[in-house]
Amino acid sequence: MSQLAEHPVLDPAKAPPFPQAALPVLHNPQLRKNVAHAVDVIQLKRARLVAEKTDWQELRSAAAAIRTHTLENLDKYLEQFEARCTAAGGRVHWASDASEARRIILDILREDDARQVIKIKTMTSAEIQLNPFLESEGVKVFETDLAEIILQLGNEEPSHIVVPALHINRSQVREIFAKSMGRPELTDDPRELTAAARNYLRSKFLDIPTAISGANYLIADTGGVAIVESEGNGRMCLTLPKTLITLAGIEKVLPRFEDLEVMLQVLARSATGERMNPYTSLWNGVVPGDGPQNFHVVLLDNGRSSILAKTKERQTLRCIRCAACMNSCPVYRQTGGHAYGSVYPGPIGAILTPQLMQMRFAQSLPYASSLCGACYEVCPVKINIPEVLLELRSQVISQEKRSLRRLFDPLYLGLRAAGVIFSRAWIFRAAQRFGRIGAGLFTRKDGWIHSLPSIGGKWTQTRDLRGFPDKTFREWWRERAAHSSRESK
Amino acid sequence: MTVANTTREQVLDRIRKATSSVATGPSQLNEQYTAIPRPYVRKGALHGAAKQALLMERLRDYEAEVAESTQDNLGQAIGSMLAARDAGVLAVPGGVPPAWKIPQVDWRIDQGLSNAEIEKVDGVLTGAFCAIADSGTIVLHHTSCEGRRALTLLPDWHLCILFASQVVETLPEYFERARPAPKLVTWISGPSATADIEMTRIKGVHGPRQLSVILVNDEE
Repeated sequence: MSQLAEHPVLDPAKAPPFPQAALPVLHNPQLRKNVAHAVDVIQLKRARLVAEKTDWQELRSAAAAIRTHTLENLDKYLEQFEARCTAAGGRVHWASDASEARRIILDILREDDARQVIKIKTMTSAEIQLNPFLESEGVKVFETDLAEIILQLGNEEPSHIVVPALHINRSQVREIFAKSMGRPELTDDPRELTAAARNYLRSKFLDIPTAISGANYLIADTGGVAIVESEGNGRMCLTLPKTLITLAGIEKVLPRFEDLEVMLQVLARSATGERMNPYTSLWNGVVPGDGPQNFHVVLLDNGRSSILAKTKERQTLRCIRCAACMNSCPVYRQTGGHAYGSVYPGPIGAILTPQLMQMRFAQSLPYASSLCGACYEVCPVKINIPEVLLELRSQVISQEKRSLRRLFDPLYLGLRAAGVIFSRAWIFRAAQRFGRIGAGLFTRKDGWIHSLPSIGGKWTQTRDLRGFPDKTFREWWRERAAHSSRESK
Repeated sequence: MTVANTTREQVLDRIRKATSSVATGPSQLNEQYTAIPRPYVRKGALHGAAKQALLMERLRDYEAEVAESTQDNLGQAIGSMLAARDAGVLAVPGGVPPAWKIPQVDWRIDQGLSNAEIEKVDGVLTGAFCAIADSGTIVLHHTSCEGRRALTLLPDWHLCILFASQVVETLPEYFERARPAPKLVTWISGPSATADIEMTRIKGVHGPRQLSVILVNDEE
């Protein structure tokens, strides 16, 4: 496993700043190749299928409008969902934060005396770090999505929200499976590896009576829940167990059943470049004689309501987790997901993570972008990610301005010095003369500065700087004027 | 329960405060919802054979097997599908028409089959609620002719009988037909698949690894 990145901790409160976290990946050609290959394949498929849709922009507009309307009236739609789901036999729980959600889920499991659970891929559960918590409480968790099995058995963290193991190639998957399933005879043929996962899980689907899922959509007018998937592991977990616990962010609600006519059209194309994903399941509460007879929904806030309060940032919650933004992002393509230090990487992660942390952590993420706007262009719900990035950057700056550290920070010292220098012409001229002398020490024969010490190194690390010219424009102008007046005489 | 209730109130309260400047009153909610512009394509332009051809093309694109039949020849069509796979034991939901259950096949009618029993069959034969040509999607509402969910999940082969009159072109057309909203839905677009290893599409993971459709022409 030496080729993989060191096991990262995807806890924004503990993660190193983005530029630091990105370095190991930038020095890992295998990892970069795996990521680039995966995003290239998805983007190509997406582009082909989006081009096929004559009404793509109209679908995007409608999807954005539906999500905006829902968020603006979120309380009413959540109450409606709760009432309808309860009437249909489900039980709805509310969780303010991660620890409350974990506790609610554990209590339900204890009620059933459940020692094992099967799980459908849910990034929300990774957000609340559910698996390590349940394991520490003596509950054995079995992930059932192929990518999640790879991560779980390989002790890896997700690096993408749709294909979370995209940073791991087939020979690495073979290594993980051979070791953890005790099957040294496996080859690295994806077909064979997929079959190995099927065998590994079959008995678990049939025997373990408790499942945990996320939700793609909560339907307010019916109290239904919809889950979109490919492999059938979702259908297994939603159909065979006796107890089902669905964990969903409060923003996942849609007003009406028929809103799916828009969301399902934009989601599959954006996420995997398919006309439709193989399986979508929808169920209302408990249906007698079919599926789990004991159904719980845990509605998770965990910072979402604070995002809702801000006009520019509110759009972040429109997200339907398709990952088109990360697939199109030139930064993500180079760094992969782990550098973001969060289960939500890429452009959406760069705006969602610091906000979920209420701007207390992950302040480097709004800078993990070139503001090229590719993410906005592909977003099926038209989240203007660059706009939110800029807004968050300004909040980071205001935070720093309030902190004492700025008194000693070289950047702020430099900016204060610049403030003084630019305020008087004579100081500016003096600074130019000193600057020319100072920069002269670093300017090479070709007239460029290739490397600067201290804070200047941040600039020259990735680009060169023109050396100071021999004279300033003003000096040149004065000399020219003096010269021409001499000539005219 | 008291703790849960207070959390509920706290969360709702935070949401109300956060949206107070933009939220609509409860009485205008429906009005505002209905006013959401929906300029996308609702009705398809294809009819009859062209619509069916699109569905078949899209299904084959997912590597599903597709055959056509007339109403009179449906029994034969089912027979040749079974023969081609050497399938002798099939599960069926209780509500399928008797004519579908052709002779010389061991039909396991679902009157509470156990999961182990469903696992053992060679395949399952069901009807469908609807099919969407544009995306190659078969829709099950799990009525008595479509069976409960486990029945079309555990067998390795799903044979689905579709009638031309059940085919719509676009997803919005399906939602017009699906009123009142069903309690259980499975939208199936091809056999189960994964692309989790190096984005290589592998057909067949946990759901039925093979999907076959017989499209019955019941229109003029």
